[in-house]
Amino acid sequence: MPAGRLAGARPAIVNAMDSAVPRAAYVHVPFCRHRCGYCDFSLVAGRDDLIERYFQALGRELARVPEPLCLDTLFVGGGTPSHLGVAGLRRLAAVLQDKLILAAGAEATLEANPSDVTPELVEVLREGGFSRLSLGAQSLAPATLAALDRNHTPDDVRRAVEAGLQAGLTVSVDVMIAAPGQSLAAVEQDLEDVLALGGQHVSVYCLTWEKGTRFASLLRQGLLQEAEEDLEREMYELAIERLEGGGLEQYEVSNFARPGHRCRHNETYWDCRPWEGFGPGAARFDGRTRITNHRSPVTWMHRILSGADPSGECDQMTPEEAARERIVVGLRRRDGLVRGEFAAASGFSLDALAGGAILSWVEQGFASDDGQRVRLTRRGLLVSDGLWAAVLGQGA
Amino acid sequence: MSIDCKHIRNFSIIAHIDHGKSTLADRLLEWTGTVEKRQLKEQMLDDMELERQRGITIKARAVRMEYTHKGEVYELNLIDTPGHVDFHYEVSRSLACCEGAVLLVDAFQGVEAQTVANAYSAINLNLAIVPVINKVDLVHARVDEVLAEMEQSLGLDAADVVLASAKTGIGIDELLAGIVERIPPPAGDPNAVLRAMIFDSHYDSYRGAITYVRLVDGTVRKGQKIRFLETNSTHDVLELGQFVPQRRACEELFAGQVGYLVCNIKDVKQVHIGDTVTIPGDNGATAMPGYKPPQRMVYCGLYPSEGENFEELRDALEKLAINDPSFEYAPESSEALGFGFRCGFLGLLHMEIIQQRLEKEADLDLVQTAPNVTYQIKKTTGEVIEITNPQDVPDTGQIDEFRQPIVRTNFLTPVEHIGPIMQLCTDRRGVYLKTEYLSPTRAMLTFDLPLAEVIYDLHDKLKSVTRGYGTMDYELIGYFPADLARLDILVGSKKVDALSIICDRRDADRRGRSIVKKLRGEIDRHMFEIALQAAIGTKVIARETISAMRKNVTAKCYGGDISRKKKLWAKQKEGKKRMKSIGSVDIPQKAFMAVLDTGADRS
Ligand SMILES: Nc1nc2c(ncn2[C@@H]2O[C@H](COP(=O)(O)OP(=O)(O)O)[C@@H](O)[C@H]2O)c(=O)[nH]1
Ligand code: SF4
Ligand SMILES: [Mg+2]
Repeated sequence: MPAGRLAGARPAIVNAMDSAVPRAAYVHVPFCRHRCGYCDFSLVAGRDDLIERYFQALGRELARVPEPLCLDTLFVGGGTPSHLGVAGLRRLAAVLQDKLILAAGAEATLEANPSDVTPELVEVLREGGFSRLSLGAQSLAPATLAALDRNHTPDDVRRAVEAGLQAGLTVSVDVMIAAPGQSLAAVEQDLEDVLALGGQHVSVYCLTWEKGTRFASLLRQGLLQEAEEDLEREMYELAIERLEGGGLEQYEVSNFARPGHRCRHNETYWDCRPWEGFGPGAARFDGRTRITNHRSPVTWMHRILSGADPSGECDQMTPEEAARERIVVGLRRRDGLVRGEFAAASGFSLDALAGGAILSWVEQGFASDDGQRVRLTRRGLLVSDGLWAAVLGQGA
Repeated sequence: MSIDCKHIRNFSIIAHIDHGKSTLADRLLEWTGTVEKRQLKEQMLDDMELERQRGITIKARAVRMEYTHKGEVYELNLIDTPGHVDFHYEVSRSLACCEGAVLLVDAFQGVEAQTVANAYSAINLNLAIVPVINKVDLVHARVDEVLAEMEQSLGLDAADVVLASAKTGIGIDELLAGIVERIPPPAGDPNAVLRAMIFDSHYDSYRGAITYVRLVDGTVRKGQKIRFLETNSTHDVLELGQFVPQRRACEELFAGQVGYLVCNIKDVKQVHIGDTVTIPGDNGATAMPGYKPPQRMVYCGLYPSEGENFEELRDALEKLAINDPSFEYAPESSEALGFGFRCGFLGLLHMEIIQQRLEKEADLDLVQTAPNVTYQIKKTTGEVIEITNPQDVPDTGQIDEFRQPIVRTNFLTPVEHIGPIMQLCTDRRGVYLKTEYLSPTRAMLTFDLPLAEVIYDLHDKLKSVTRGYGTMDYELIGYFPADLARLDILVGSKKVDALSIICDRRDADRRGRSIVKKLRGEIDRHMFEIALQAAIGTKVIARETISAMRKNVTAKCYGGDISRKKKLWAKQKEGKKRMKSIGSVDIPQKAFMAVLDTGADRS
């Protein structure tokens, strides 16, 4: 099915050396079978009738890009992209191929619900040039899956991982902790089971109670309970220890990978390099300004198809604000920030912007500093949201 | 305007709150044709927005009405008075301008604590009383019992009581006739030297200070010069008139009348409530015995939330003070809160109202410290000092006697609630004085209580133990020695001056424990552990810790998430700005109220 193949269809047209031109793109597929109780993502559930309009709108939005982009990374996320099915994914590849071209050796990820993954689907991905499969597994315990309102089984996860690995894809597994009623022992078991799956990458997320979700309203009514902060911390620390012990290095707050398998696409975000984004709620960034599309899939479609601008929020930063943001997202990575690299990329001296804060973090044991590289310690990382106020927005 | 003194009646309506004073005022305005029915906004006289919201009259108002009785036209000047214990002072101010008072009692609620307190104020001023039972239209009206209560508690003759309904209009004609027939006309001489009393004032940004006066002797005319005795300042009368109820200008006001003067006074400090107005020069009248200065019962610190708004706060306080002489302020500074003002109020409601008016009218964001009463300290040197701020308590070694204000408190209650009220007062170190039965079903209990135990929440507690039927009123009887101490609060080993309180030593353990516990709930977790301690001198009597933040990290931070999270982080930063940082601990504004004793922890 060469028509659907993204990679190598055309030579790279855009100058790969021009750092202002994005070499990464995100495509949002806003469809799911049902909406999980904790989820506030941009999606519609049970509205497959809108898929055709979505493809039309996506095609139109891609037309915004004047010349085809040559990509080092592509991430198709959702929602549930795998919900499009075999035919749908072929259609998606066809829509994208005019404007998005994968460079040789590119990383292309597709998010999938474990129950959607069949050998046939994996085959379509390979044909389309995808190299990574990111599975919304969340847990391998039936009780936790039920508590999280997920409708796949542990066996679905096992089959999906196996299918991905067998086809030569890099497989990433999402794990959720601090689910309602989940015990520390349950987390421990989940981690063991996840390691046994043999994937190269794991993302760990604590359940968050987002405004407007069904879980949030159950919480308000006292029908669900949030995990205690201390328990949550223990779970998270356990995850770090077990995964690192199993050979997956933590390279960002939530992300763990075997050597050579970090998600290069996400590293674009944390390096503050430019990227493109298409679909509802998708963001794009040119190094200074981040524009996020309207989050409602229907509004996004409607605006695009009626010739209007689908952009929602626009975060326009001064060079200094952008540099401050770079500090925050950079320090969330375990590699931290290297002074020389930071200055070269941002045009600011790290110490001029945050010298005082860094000093006090080091004193309090939240960061280490060898004179070149500043990294958060485990302790610092765990409470890092409480650190950023000292870095952001000063001088603004 | 050819009305003479004999045809003037000056009166107030006094009542316990909610017995229908404002409604009755509306009816009188309507009956006398002062305001047409369709123009009558409900409760016409409560024109301050806050009053409307709270449904209580805060500031006294004056209004002139005309009424024809037996073929003769009378000028009736109604001075409305507030109905809350905090505003007792305003009540007596208004009463001093009257020859009579309409005493209103709810036909269902009967005689209540402020009925008694206000009635005695009027009786002490020798005013003629026109007693009224209001709301006789109510199905549950118990007129006969209420008549008996009025006889019992106030010594009034049941035969003099007018039965009325301010709602339906029953008895309003009889009441108007009673006002004319039973209240004497003012006694002043319009031809004597001008002598008028300032009983209220307010500030108008276009016209300057508007002074409310009651003329005692003489006549004042537009264009003439007048003199304020207190400041000995001379002014031109640019405009004068009466309230109908809006300002209506006229050419002259004479002895017995009530009205206003506009003299282009921009400096609000020149107007003193209780001051005497007369003519310039040496032949003016002498000062009338002014009002007793109001008793400020409660003090608290008010600080601008943003330090740079100090001057704005000062201006706003100055403007408020001219409308409300019962409120007082003086600059102070606190290590914790920076520069602000120590403010004195008549009571807690008064405090709350002033704070709301500041925030509303002046658009200022304020940090308020917990209110405290005033104390007296007799030092070993013999000197007696007044303490309005716990910070000013000297070292124990210098204190000979530490005195606190004691109030005589009357409770009116259905007899079945006597027990719980006794308990309430004993818990608060009250001294029982007596019980009087107004009727077989209602009684009046009298206790002497520390004011500090009364103002914060006794009223709420009373309402709850009497299912809403008990009422109370109190009056300061003096300062008496007690075993008092200053309790300090330390946050992260730093003493926070704005959190200190004065309390009875026997309560110190309980109060200390409860304060640090409450603070623990108010102060967010920090990156480090925070110790909260309560101490008297160097002795720590209670301790709590706020453990360090254990986990606070955003999981997902991809693409568009960054914008969303950044907003969240920025919000935390904004939140921080609105807190006061003591050492490196951020204390939210409302934590400064945590030291208030709610008594919830009393055993
Ligand atoms: N049924 C009845 N209700 C009345 C009468 N007079 C006042 N009220 C009601 O009693 C409440 C308190 O009246 P208000 O005039 O605000 O009392 P104030 O606090 O003394 O000024 C209001 O809800 C009035 O509508 C009356 O004669 N009959
Ligand atoms: S499948 Fe994923 S994107 Fe879809 S509703 Fe559930 S959590 Fe949200
Ligand atoms: Mg009223």
